[in-house]
Amino acid sequence: MSLDRRTFLKRTGAAGALILGSRLPAPGRASAQDMTVRPDPAAKRGGTLRYAVHNAPAHFDVHQSGTVANIGPQSPMYDTLLRRSPKDGQTIIPDLAWKWEIAPDNKKYTFHLRKGVKFHDGADFTAEDVKATYERIARPPKGVVIPRTPLFATVGDIVVVNPHTIEFRMTEPRPKPYMLGAFASGWNIIVRKKTLEENQGNLRQVMNYPGTGPFKHVSRKDKEVWIQERNADYWNKGLPLVDRLEVYHMFPFSPELGSSFLAGKVDYARLLDPVSWRKAKEMQGVTAAAFNQSVIQAFWTNMQKNKALADPRVRRAIHLAMDRHTLVEVVKDTAPMQVGGFVYPFHEMSTPRAELEKKLGYQRDTKPAVQEARRLMKEAGYANGIKNLDFVVRDIATFKLWAVAIQAMLKEHLNIESNLRVVQTSVWFDEAQAGNFDLAISAIVSTLMDPSDIFSAWYGKDGPQNYSRWTNPAFHDLANQIEREVDDNKRKQLVRKAEDILENDPPLIPVSYEQIYDAWYNKVHGQNPSTFFGIYDVVRWDNVWLA
Amino acid sequence: MYALVTLLGVSLSIFVILRILPGDPLVAILGVEGHARMTPADRVRIMADLGLSDPLPVQYVHWLRDIAAGRLGKSFFRGDTVSELIAHRGPISAEIGVLALVVSWLVGLPVGILSAFKPNSLPDGLARALSILFIAIPGFWLGMLIVLAALFWFGYKSPIVIVHLWQDPWQNFQIVIGPAVVLGLAQGAYIARMSRSCLLEVISEDFVRTARAKGLREGLVVMRHALPNALLPVITISGVLLGFVLGGSVAVEQAFGVPGLGRSLVVAVIERDIIVVQNLVLLYAVIFVVVNVFVDLSYAWLDPRIRYG
Repeated sequence: MSLDRRTFLKRTGAAGALILGSRLPAPGRASAQDMTVRPDPAAKRGGTLRYAVHNAPAHFDVHQSGTVANIGPQSPMYDTLLRRSPKDGQTIIPDLAWKWEIAPDNKKYTFHLRKGVKFHDGADFTAEDVKATYERIARPPKGVVIPRTPLFATVGDIVVVNPHTIEFRMTEPRPKPYMLGAFASGWNIIVRKKTLEENQGNLRQVMNYPGTGPFKHVSRKDKEVWIQERNADYWNKGLPLVDRLEVYHMFPFSPELGSSFLAGKVDYARLLDPVSWRKAKEMQGVTAAAFNQSVIQAFWTNMQKNKALADPRVRRAIHLAMDRHTLVEVVKDTAPMQVGGFVYPFHEMSTPRAELEKKLGYQRDTKPAVQEARRLMKEAGYANGIKNLDFVVRDIATFKLWAVAIQAMLKEHLNIESNLRVVQTSVWFDEAQAGNFDLAISAIVSTLMDPSDIFSAWYGKDGPQNYSRWTNPAFHDLANQIEREVDDNKRKQLVRKAEDILENDPPLIPVSYEQIYDAWYNKVHGQNPSTFFGIYDVVRWDNVWLA
Repeated sequence: MYALVTLLGVSLSIFVILRILPGDPLVAILGVEGHARMTPADRVRIMADLGLSDPLPVQYVHWLRDIAAGRLGKSFFRGDTVSELIAHRGPISAEIGVLALVVSWLVGLPVGILSAFKPNSLPDGLARALSILFIAIPGFWLGMLIVLAALFWFGYKSPIVIVHLWQDPWQNFQIVIGPAVVLGLAQGAYIARMSRSCLLEVISEDFVRTARAKGLREGLVVMRHALPNALLPVITISGVLLGFVLGGSVAVEQAFGVPGLGRSLVVAVIERDIIVVQNLVLLYAVIFVVVNVFVDLSYAWLDPRIRYG
C-alpha cells in the first residue's frame, strides 16, 4: 500500500487528535439533576475550620447585598433552590429543589422541593417560603433594593402547586443556562416567609434569621469573627463534615490577611494579596489556587458631558491606546489581573484569548494599535489631542496605580491630557451617577457570567452601571435578541457580533479582569476553587473536611 | 465650663463636617450594584429609616439629647449600638494608650536626664539622633515593619480577635504591646527632648549649685532637686501627647491589625457610618479634654506657686 506524504500527515494528525481528544476532560455538564452533594468516602468528621474572608457586612440582608462581606460569612447558614457543584463551581445541581422540569417552550420552570427540610428554628420548609423569597427578589417592596431583580424580569406568576412543588411561569422565554444560573446564584438564599413578614420584608438589621443551611449561627463579634456550628438536622445526611466554622474578618488583599494565613492563624484564606499568595505557594503543606472573578476593571468616558468623548472614533482610539499587558503588570503585586475585552475573556461565547490577543488593543506590541488610534483621532478632528479631562479615580490602590499609567499612555500616544481626582469610594459612585467626570476608573460586578447579564447591567441603554451614558441602537437590538435566543450556537454568533460593535463603539474602556487568590493548609480537603467563577456561588463548606 | 464649651464646639463641628462631606453612605449599605439600581423612592425610604431625612438642626438636637440620656445611638448599617462597640473595643484601645504613655515616660525621661547631665557627649548625640528618628518615623510604617519582621523571622502573628485582659492576660499582652511600644517610642522621643531642655535650664539654677555645694550625690541632686522642677513642662506635653497617642492609634491599630476603637473609626469613616464616627470622635475629644483638665489641676499640686498664686 502506497502512502504519500500528505496522506501520512493527514492520518497522523487524525490519530493524534483522536488520542488527544480521548485524554481531554469531557466538557462539564451545564446542569445535572442527579448530582446532589455527597460526602467524600474518605472524609473524616469533626474539627474547626478557620476561614478568613471579608466579614464586615454593611447589613445582614443577603438578597440586598452585592458584596462578599455578606456571602462570605452568611452563605453557610442558607440553601438555595439549585446550586453550583462544589466540585467544579460550574455544573448546576439540585439543592432544596431535588428535581426540576422546564417546559418545551421555556416558559415554565417547575421545581420539586425536598421534604422534611427544617429551618434552624425548627419550622418546616415549604413551597410558600420559596414563593415569598422569589416574590421578594423579583418584585422587591419599597425601600428594598435587590441587584438580582433584573435576572427575574420575565418571571410572571409564581404558583405553589402543593407544599413541595412550585412553578415559575415566565412572561417570555429566556435561555435555560441563563435562568438556571439565576436560580443557582448564591445570592438567592431561601428565607422563611414568616421571617420576611415579621420584618416588613427588610432584613438589613436582622443578624440571625433562620436558614436551612449546613451551619447554624452561634455568635458574632462585629469585624472580628462569626462562629457557626454544624447543623445536626441538615437535610443532606452526613453533611456538613466539620463541627464548627469560624469566619474571621480580614480585608481583601490586606497584609493582615496575608500575615494571619502565613502565621497559621487561619486554615483557609480568600482574597489574598499577590505577595502573600506567592509566599504561600512556596510553603510546604499549603495549596494555593487562582480563579476568575465576576468583575471587570474599566474606565468610563462621559459621552454626555464631553463632546469629544461622544465620538466613537475618539473612544475607539482611547481603547486602542491602552497597553493592557503593561496595565496588568503595573498592579501585579497589588491584585491579580488578566487581559480581556468587553465580555468575560474566559466565557465560552466570548472571543477566545488567543484570538483576542491578535486584535488591535490587546496585542503585546502596541505599535499597530497606537498607529490606528492616532489615525482615528485625526479623522475625528482631534489630531492635536484633548486637554483638561477630569479623571475621577476611586481611592483604591489598583485604581490609583492604573490612573497614573493610563494618564501617561493617553498623553504619550494621543496627546490627551487629564487631571487625576482621587475620591473615596462613596464619592466616586456619587460623581459617576451624577455625571461629574470626563474619565472615571473603577470596577463593576455581575451576578452571572452570561453575556446577557452584563449586556443589560453594564452596557444596557438605562443599565445601572452604564456610567458613560452610552447608547447604540444596533447593540441594544442585538442584546435583546441574545437575551431571547435559546439556541446556544446562534447565541454565540450573536455575542461575537455584539463584541464587534463594542470594539468599534466602546461603552467603557476595559482595563482588565480580576482573579481571586485563595490558599489553604493541606489539612483542608474537599475545596479547590480553581475552576470557580467568582466568590459568590460556592461558599457552603458543607463537603469540606479536615484531616 | 471651658471644657464643656470646647466639647460643644467639637460636637457641632463634627456633626456639620460629616453632613457636608461628599459621599453617599448608601453605597456601603447597598453595595455597588444595589446602589446603582436604587430608585429615588427607595432612597427617600431608606434615608428616613436611618433617621437621616430630618432637618439638620433636628438631627443635632436628637443627638445631644441621646448623649445626655446616655444613649450613643446605633451604627446605621448593622444596628450594633455604639455603646457596645465602645465597651468591647474601648478597653483594648485604653490599654494601648496607657501602656504607650508608660513606655514614653520609661524611655523618654531617663534618656532626657542622661542627655541633660552629659550634654554634647556621645550618649547625648545618640539620644538626640534617636529622638529625631522616632519623631520622624510614621507609627503605622514602623508598625508594619514590626509585623512583617515578626512574621518572616519568627512566623509570629498576634491574636486576630480581641482578648481582654481579664480573659487571658498573656494573649491580651500580645495584642497591645506592639502598638503601645510604637506609639510610646514616638511620644518618648518628645519627652526626652523636652526633659533634656528643661533639665539643662534647671541645672544651671542656683538651688542646684547649692545642692551640689552641700555635697549631695549627683543622683540625689537630680531626683530630689532638679527633676521635680523640670517636670512641669514635661507633664504639660504629656497631656498634649495623649492627643497624639489617640490620633496615632487610629493608624497604628490598623497596621498591627488590632481591632480597637481606632480601627473601628477608620472603617466607620470609609463606610460613612455617621453615627459611629460622630460618637467616637466625640469620645476622643472628651478623653483629650478631661486629661488636659487633670493636667491643669496637677500643676497646682506639683507647684505651690500656682496653688497659692
